[in-house]
Amino acid sequence: MTQHLEDDAELYALGFTDRERSDEIEAHLATCAACCARVAAAEAVGASLAAALPPMPAAKSQRRTWWPQLATAAAVVFAATSVLEGNVVHVASDRAQRTDVALSVLASSHFAHTTLTSNPGIVAKTIYSRDGSWVYVVANGAPAGAHLTLREGAASHDLGALDAGTPSTLFVRQPGRGDEFDLVVDGKVVARGKPAY
Amino acid sequence: MALDEPGFDQAYRAHASRLRAVAFNVLHEREAAEDAVHNALMRVWSGGSFRADRGPLLPFLIACVRREALDMVRGTKRRHLREVKAVADDPLSIDETAAIDPIETRRVQLALGSLPDAQRDVIARAYFGQRTLLEVARETDIPLGTVKSRLAAGLRRLHTVLSPGVST
Repeated sequence: MTQHLEDDAELYALGFTDRERSDEIEAHLATCAACCARVAAAEAVGASLAAALPPMPAAKSQRRTWWPQLATAAAVVFAATSVLEGNVVHVASDRAQRTDVALSVLASSHFAHTTLTSNPGIVAKTIYSRDGSWVYVVANGAPAGAHLTLREGAASHDLGALDAGTPSTLFVRQPGRGDEFDLVVDGKVVARGKPAY
Repeated sequence: MALDEPGFDQAYRAHASRLRAVAFNVLHEREAAEDAVHNALMRVWSGGSFRADRGPLLPFLIACVRREALDMVRGTKRRHLREVKAVADDPLSIDETAAIDPIETRRVQLALGSLPDAQRDVIARAYFGQRTLLEVARETDIPLGTVKSRLAAGLRRLHTVLSPGVST
């Protein structure tokens, strides 16, 4: 049992606690309804204060290529742009569009994600629609020539080869639904994960 | 428990401009602000850190975005993004015509006006003036602990004033 947050409830709500303290606070909030209510009250004030801020200025038109730091975010974006613009995976060039499209897909296509259990040195994640209409895989450290397969019972369908990027990725339309996504290199499974539709 | 995606998206769409304004106010750079919003939303979505008993979603999302943006500022690489303005700046000035929500802004101004000067000054400097609490302490020659307690007390008082059904 940790101590109540006291003034830190308000400081946290407005972002004035450092990451380390914020982590401690969030752990406490998970177990303390009283502090949760206090933080929520302060966050409500934060929302009111935010209304008084000027809006973000409009974008100048520019094209950039930049890899987001969060693999999850990146994967969602890639999946999103791919879903809407065809099956060619590419870096979204405009961040505003990236955010909007990613969130549109959250609404229009129920999706889930799973981290694959993989060999050492490989970190792989799939994001997929629950209706089996698309899957997106992002892998760090996957050997060249890795393929994504979808196993269904005893049958395994090759969904294609990941690209050579860092991380390497593959977007697949209409993979259908199966029991397990596998990353396969030279016929050997190097990462696997079960989707939950 | 993760948020259900439609609810998440609905909240985002309805309040995207406010989320972006919060991030931009901290970071002063469009791209970084977009990243902060996006990262915060993804963190919320994938972490399932929102609990329905915590209150409405929007204030929670705003708080998450602000924390994300401030974390980016605190990271050494992003330090340059933040513009610490001169002490002579008037941190209390709020331009209603430029605000996201002029009606809410007016309410906020009235509520701020009802605070003791010491509390209002700390909130104005720290929130609207984008100072760290340490910077506020230095500017005002007030101990850091006092800055924190004044900020917290001011926010609690603002909540009372701004809460629906409470007369100002």
